[in-house]
Amino acid sequence: MDDLMLLFPLLIIGSGALLLMLLAAFEKIEVESASYISMGFFAAAFFVQLLVASTPETVLFGKIFNGMLVSSNFTTIAGLIILGCGFFTTMSSHTYFRVNLFCTLEFYAIILFGTCGMLLLTLSQELITAFISLEIMSLSIYILVGYDRSNIRSTEAILKYLMLGAFAGAFFIMGTAFIYGGTQSTKFAEIGSFVAGHSATNPLVLGGVFFIFVAFLFKAAAFPFHAWVIDVYDGAAAPVTGFMATALKTAVFTIFANFLAINGALHQGWITFLFYIAVFTMFGGNLIAIGQHSIKRMLAASGIVHSGYLLIALVAISTDHFTGTVIGYYLAAYAVGTLGIFSALSYLGGEGEKRATFEDFKGLAKVRPYSAAAITVFLLSMAGIPPTAGFMAKFYVITSAVTAGHMTLALLGIMSSILSIRYYLRLIINMYFHEAEEYFETGGSPWATAATFILVFCVFAIGLYPIVI
Amino acid sequence: MFEYALSVMIFLPIVTGLVMLLFPLSKETARITGFIVTVAILFRGIEIFLSFTGTGGMEYVESRSWIQSLGISYGLGIDGISLLVLMAGTVLFPMLFTIFKTQPKGYYANLLIAQGAMIGAICATDLVLFYIFWEVMLLPIFFMIGLYGGSKRLPATLKITIYTIAGSLLMLAALVYVGVSYHTQFGKWTFAIVQLSELELGGGFAVLAFFMFMVAFAIKIPLFPFHTWLPDAYTEAPTATTFVLSAIMAKIGVYAVIRFVMPVFEIEFARFAVLLSLAGVTGMIYCGLAAISQKDMKRMLAFSSASHMGIIALGVFCMNVQALTGTLFQIAAHATSTGVLFLFVGLMEERMQTRKIENLGGIAYRAPIFATFFAIAMLASVGLPATSGFIGEFLIILGAIKFNAFIGILAGTTLVIGVCYMLWMFQRVFFERSNERTENFQDLNLSEALTFLPVIVLIFAMGIFPQAFIKKIEPAAQQQIAKAFAMPQAQVAETIVPTPGHNNHKE
Repeated sequence: MDDLMLLFPLLIIGSGALLLMLLAAFEKIEVESASYISMGFFAAAFFVQLLVASTPETVLFGKIFNGMLVSSNFTTIAGLIILGCGFFTTMSSHTYFRVNLFCTLEFYAIILFGTCGMLLLTLSQELITAFISLEIMSLSIYILVGYDRSNIRSTEAILKYLMLGAFAGAFFIMGTAFIYGGTQSTKFAEIGSFVAGHSATNPLVLGGVFFIFVAFLFKAAAFPFHAWVIDVYDGAAAPVTGFMATALKTAVFTIFANFLAINGALHQGWITFLFYIAVFTMFGGNLIAIGQHSIKRMLAASGIVHSGYLLIALVAISTDHFTGTVIGYYLAAYAVGTLGIFSALSYLGGEGEKRATFEDFKGLAKVRPYSAAAITVFLLSMAGIPPTAGFMAKFYVITSAVTAGHMTLALLGIMSSILSIRYYLRLIINMYFHEAEEYFETGGSPWATAATFILVFCVFAIGLYPIVI
Repeated sequence: MFEYALSVMIFLPIVTGLVMLLFPLSKETARITGFIVTVAILFRGIEIFLSFTGTGGMEYVESRSWIQSLGISYGLGIDGISLLVLMAGTVLFPMLFTIFKTQPKGYYANLLIAQGAMIGAICATDLVLFYIFWEVMLLPIFFMIGLYGGSKRLPATLKITIYTIAGSLLMLAALVYVGVSYHTQFGKWTFAIVQLSELELGGGFAVLAFFMFMVAFAIKIPLFPFHTWLPDAYTEAPTATTFVLSAIMAKIGVYAVIRFVMPVFEIEFARFAVLLSLAGVTGMIYCGLAAISQKDMKRMLAFSSASHMGIIALGVFCMNVQALTGTLFQIAAHATSTGVLFLFVGLMEERMQTRKIENLGGIAYRAPIFATFFAIAMLASVGLPATSGFIGEFLIILGAIKFNAFIGILAGTTLVIGVCYMLWMFQRVFFERSNERTENFQDLNLSEALTFLPVIVLIFAMGIFPQAFIKKIEPAAQQQIAKAFAMPQAQVAETIVPTPGHNNHKE
């Protein structure tokens, strides 16, 4: 496979972002045409990526990027998920911004820029590259979170996220400095060979890895850096929250897994740490989710819980022949479920997202049975009920944990999903078993609805034909 | 067509149910479609029963690789163990569509989905496939209780759902443990039950996994002390759902113990058999006593059903051919008696808007046919000779005495409790004084009588000619026992169990 071909999706997205930025500067087009253009770019990039993914191989960009980028089966899958997330996010944004009028042309350009950062992050095998792409991604997300400048909650969200995110970035760069001090390199491969040759307990390496973990755990919303998630997810617009919850998490966990997999000794040394982080993330997230009244806040907390499951998969990765399939599959399954709910919220939320709490969705099934059924499918997938993608994903994660000998972790994961049933069911019960109090009139375009139902199909397709594994 | 007989039986109802949910149909169309589909399934079921050879192996096998990397396959098959459970799931189903005529479309659609999923769980020979159907069959029940249940339906729905899902998820962990153990011992992935039975498990995790399986199934059965969801769910659920839960779904729990737990965890099973059978007997006594004091007929039947499930489960834990055959027979017999009693109560409720025993009386004078049918089903339920209930219970108690005289005698004497609550209820509802409610009680009309007639005939047929059924199931029961408990009890007790804390795979 041509090297260029592997980077082609990134190039498409990048040029799309620049094009939209220019168009926005000259104000030549409408906001809606911008969304169509970005949909087109996402679709094109997605199909090119699909073409690339059909012939999996690992390519080290030795000549052009001096080995700083590596494309493997895992990164192409992560890229596919991210591009898919971008595509569906633009679809639901189209509908969302018909009703909520604070969109400008730059919105779609920024989504494309963010996607660029994410794609680059999945490919990077070097700490400085990772940092740069992490910041490209984060800066775009900061802007997207605070896009509605007149909304006080949105402003609160961006302030929180920006402050804390800046700290995380600082930690990352400090960790990079430490590691460079210890190993004289920032490339994953050379760090790996240093650790293999010397020891993973070199204080500089130890400290550096710790700080980098802090940054990753912050971005992945894992315990104890999860507190920002609830307010930020709640403050952002529904499509943006969906994008953050899925694409951003995919990118972060991909680089996290790639980083952990560089050396067996490194991974081994941090297993206990990650074990406790995973356990606290799952149970902390569950406890937060059970108490929520707003659906977006509940989904934010459930996102924390899913980060916990992904951490289980990280604990259980085998560094000798790392494939990342379990993580990739889990991310895909999680992405379709979460994106689906957020695209449904995009068109059901109404003006100013007036329908936000569990109470507001009472009786949805009586008025809009198909939408309620779609949301039910997504919730069941997130709860891990077969035959949805979420079940298969959970099954693979548990299997990988047991195979790696972490029976306790697998059991705790199961306990946590028992707890999580409670709040997923609560929404289903509200939608189905109560009488409707309103008509759930929706404005806007049919794009978000279309996205929702395509994603319903994806939930079953991914669940029944788990080709990734 | 013939090759895919089981697949058709699974997916025809599921697909029909989903189509019914997705497209606007009238109630009547939905009901008639449902009736036609279930009758078609019934004929397939009867055909399978008649052409079943009963040699002890799997028949109607379908096997297709599904997820290669983990060795998960789409494997279906029927043997003597699952045959009568399958019959329970197919034979009685069309009745639901002729008795309950005025329900909404979703009611019939959910019933169909439940039937398909249950048949799937009964036929699956792959543990993961079984798990998928096992979970799917809960969903229609969840929606049926929540949408069409009684006044206190929401707490009941939540209780049954969280209870069962918690159990299932524990089973998922145990299932993964079994699969991974197989991979460690034999170097390849599979979840097919035939291969998994070659596993030799031991140590702390095996015991844990065994109990996780058992808890999942004990919740579904329900076995004491996991029965607390049952009275609420059975009482609040619409009658057809109660019927499905008691007549078929609970049996799948027992069946799953025989199919999946017994061959894989033979050592643990033998070690804890006495404990488990005591749980069965305790459930029998406890739920039987609770049934005596109930004021609501449906709730009384719920406890009675739980009490009978105790004895059915007991038959599994006795680990001998008589008891196992008795259990397999009783699975079908119990569906024809208690399941049908629930339907009768549903009919009475439709006609009189009450289920309170104290508000009823004298029905036998107004409705002699109904009373006769009710009496036959009731006597079958308490195990009168010449009815279906007798054979199974007799075999189970025989096996129980062989297994442990104390438990056998306890179980045998407990049957008297069943007679107490049933006959007392019958006396209060059907005899004694009639009141203004029961004055105008309509007897069964022709179509209703014709619906119930086959079941009544079946009750007698199973009681008088049990051999027709037993000869199909006995070879499989013998094989199962012989395979699982090749070593005698004394040897089991002396088997050295490696220290807990290690993952005790034999390398």
